[in-house]
Amino acid sequence: MALWFLRGTRRGVVTTTYPKRADPSSAHLPTPPTFDSAALNASVATRMVAVCPSRALELEPGALILDRGRCTACQRCLTVGAGVGTPSGQFEWATREPARLRLSFPLAGGA
Amino acid sequence: MSSAVLSLLLATAAVWLLAAITAVVSPSRVGLTVAACLSSLGGSCALAGGLIAVITRAPVHLYVGAGLAGETSFALTPLAAVFVIALGLVATAIGAYLPRYHRPGRGTSVYLVAYHGALVASLVVLCAGSVTVFLMAWESMTLTSYLLILRHQRDLKVASGAFLFLALGEAGFAMIVAALGILAVQAGSLNLAVIAAHSGRLAPGWQDAVFLLALLGFGFKAGLVPLHIWLPAAHPVAPADGSGFLSGIVTKLGVYGFAMVAFELLPRGPVWWGLLAMALGALSALLGILYALMERDWKRFLAYSTIENIGIVMMALGASLTFFESAQPAVAALLLIAALYHVLNHATYKTLLFLQTGVVEHVTGLRDLDRLGGLARRMPVTAALTLVGTLGIAGLPPLNGFVSEWLVFEGLFQGFRIHSHLVGVLIVVAAATLALTGGLAVNAFARAFGMPFLGMPRSEGAARAGEGGQPMAGAALLAAACLFLALGAPLVLTGMDQVVAATTGTNILARLIVPGLTVIPAHTNFSAFSPTYLAICLVAMLLVPLTIVRTRRRSAEDRRVPVWAGGIMRFRPRMQYTATTHANPVRVTFDGLYRPHVEVTRASDDPAGRSGPVHYRFQVTPLFERYLYHPIIRLAELLAKRLQPLQSGDVNLYLLYVFITVLIVYAVAVR
Amino acid sequence: MNPTVRQPWELSSAPPRGRQSGTGGALAQAGDELRRRSSRLLGRSLQIRTIDTGSCGACESEVKLLASPHYDLHRLGLFFTPAPRHADCLLVTGPGTLAMDHALLATYEAMPDPKIVVAVGACPLGGVFGPDQYSHGGVVVPIDVVIPGCPPSPLALLHGLLVAVDRLAERLGPDLRTSGGPG
Repeated sequence: MALWFLRGTRRGVVTTTYPKRADPSSAHLPTPPTFDSAALNASVATRMVAVCPSRALELEPGALILDRGRCTACQRCLTVGAGVGTPSGQFEWATREPARLRLSFPLAGGA
Repeated sequence: MSSAVLSLLLATAAVWLLAAITAVVSPSRVGLTVAACLSSLGGSCALAGGLIAVITRAPVHLYVGAGLAGETSFALTPLAAVFVIALGLVATAIGAYLPRYHRPGRGTSVYLVAYHGALVASLVVLCAGSVTVFLMAWESMTLTSYLLILRHQRDLKVASGAFLFLALGEAGFAMIVAALGILAVQAGSLNLAVIAAHSGRLAPGWQDAVFLLALLGFGFKAGLVPLHIWLPAAHPVAPADGSGFLSGIVTKLGVYGFAMVAFELLPRGPVWWGLLAMALGALSALLGILYALMERDWKRFLAYSTIENIGIVMMALGASLTFFESAQPAVAALLLIAALYHVLNHATYKTLLFLQTGVVEHVTGLRDLDRLGGLARRMPVTAALTLVGTLGIAGLPPLNGFVSEWLVFEGLFQGFRIHSHLVGVLIVVAAATLALTGGLAVNAFARAFGMPFLGMPRSEGAARAGEGGQPMAGAALLAAACLFLALGAPLVLTGMDQVVAATTGTNILARLIVPGLTVIPAHTNFSAFSPTYLAICLVAMLLVPLTIVRTRRRSAEDRRVPVWAGGIMRFRPRMQYTATTHANPVRVTFDGLYRPHVEVTRASDDPAGRSGPVHYRFQVTPLFERYLYHPIIRLAELLAKRLQPLQSGDVNLYLLYVFITVLIVYAVAVR
Repeated sequence: MNPTVRQPWELSSAPPRGRQSGTGGALAQAGDELRRRSSRLLGRSLQIRTIDTGSCGACESEVKLLASPHYDLHRLGLFFTPAPRHADCLLVTGPGTLAMDHALLATYEAMPDPKIVVAVGACPLGGVFGPDQYSHGGVVVPIDVVIPGCPPSPLALLHGLLVAVDRLAERLGPDLRTSGGPG
């Protein structure tokens, strides 16, 4: 008798119950960030845009645009701008309208 | 009725001789056409004569006279009538094929003389009434066929192929002379009917000797393994209609000779006669198709396929003898019917296939299966006719090959009726060999039809092909004959049963065809099969999906897209299978038989893989040439060298020989 | 930013039909109705054909894990198939290198309608690799659903595939501050 069968029956069912219930491993996934507008100013935002390797951050007059679709969750922007934001913890980004993935964060320093 | 048959056969011979004369007298386009018409006319007369002879069972005799060479008489037995039908059919088809295939000229005229001479000689072989006529006609047939093969005699391959045909034909002839000579001496007469009547007088030892000599002698002509090596050498080098004649008629004459000796001239012999013939037949069938699969040359492939089919016929004949010996005359008669049926079938579809290879070679200049391709779109009529022949020879229902092979199988499967277990086991082994051969034959002919006709052209010659001015009437006639032999199987079987009843005295018609166009294999509770209804059902079943497709409700319009080819950008002909690669599984499986000699050379040894063109050379070891024929030839040469001192060239020594000979003759004659 | 067809191709002359994923309008309504019927037909048994247009392989690793016992896409009625003729869904990864254009378009054309195209990763949206001399930085066939992530975990892939057949709702979360319109 194959040993894996015996070990497997001892261990029980390993298949996840996602999407009915959340999978415990999803708590540890790297996720795109979410920023605190109050902490964003133009200089931090410029440095964050420069360090992003995947063109997910764009600087517009008065706002920082984050394209969550382009983000690779490398967290360089969070390292450069300490305290500016946190990982969002959200990993289910599938959508029919990619435009909704772009978030606009107004800069603290004003327009 | 017998006078009608006689006059038809005489007319056949006369018309064919006239055709030969026309070809010589007028070597132009008109002369060629007239000769071809006469050839077809003669073929039709022969066909009609054979049919009447089979249907009416009238005895046909013609006694011409007794001269210095012995008796000259002609007689047509029912067994020979079947072969006359095949001869007539093939001659008619080839006659229709001649005008558009050959170019008028002196070479063609000589060829036509040889061809018609071979036709007349074949007819006389079949109608021979005495040993002398038979042997003279046989030798004439061999010689005229040799001249026929030598159409393009300047090519070395042609000369050597024809020489091999002649050499092995002569070896066979020596054995045939010995066999018939022994029979004639024992019966005290040269007349074949008298020999048949007195067959019981021969001592068993002499009977065995005659049987073996006949089997080997006629086996040389028929193409039994290991006596077959002339077939793949001679067939490719003859013109296409000549190859058709060789495969369709000449090999069948070997079968006829053996059947004549075994069933008419010899009495019932021991069981091992039939088993030996069956074993050689099984070996020929299997080896024939295995070597055929390795061939790139289309005509060599067909030549090996002829060896395979002759093996099947010999297997059926041998099994028939075995069953006669084991007191099972009904199954034996069934197997003899199956053998004769297969002879007719093979004559039609093999000739058809050879004629079509001639057409393709004429148009594309190629005979190499690895270089042809895509001809079905370019030559649709040729492709359709070849398909009929291919389906027939592959033994696929509903065509004629299936009917005759089914009969052979059903006969072999009834081996359990024989009391001897050893014989039963051997018959089962033969049936298994036939099954393997049948499977390999389907593979081989899928390749032989698919490679030239389907896919994309693999060379310039194939791409430039087109239909126009090709000979079609002959092939169409043979295709129609294939269809008739399949759908009209009950009719054919009725005729065959009469022939077998006349030859062996066993009539199984009531146990062969039951009402409802169904064929049963000589015993009622064994099996049943209706060729006519099967054909009708198969065609009707095709109509069901067609009707569904035509009448379904269309929910959306059809979108036509290119064939999914893996997303590659450009599909090139070199990406297709070739004939060589198609046969790779068989090559790998039977590597022990082929013992191939493989050579791979690269232009350079670049480790990065850019090694330039790779040349791959694959050669099957010719087992029989190397291990059987070459030793014999070397032995003969050795003996000749030892005897050479006798021919010293010294006139005095020769005078001494003359003197000694005179002394000996004087001493013997005086005493 | 909508991915657009970047160059004409010789496979077919007509643009692919009925894939307006947008808001409002009679055509969009017709598109939605088509989408609803397709989802009903394909929702419980979706055959997925994957194609890699030059990706780094991370998305493929995650897609591969879908067949593992832990994630097991078969329990949800999703199946992988290599033959485009048998496929309902085309799963595209990679930034759309020019070399794979013909293959991608041939695969798309070979799939019978109705079909769904799902783009996986940051690459189809222009992340990591933008358009350059080797790639489009996007996908040249019309996309139904995008599953962002670099790479998206198998859980995200399952969510995205089920969104594609309308078995799950999109979970973009509370739109904290979405930009007013197309960015």
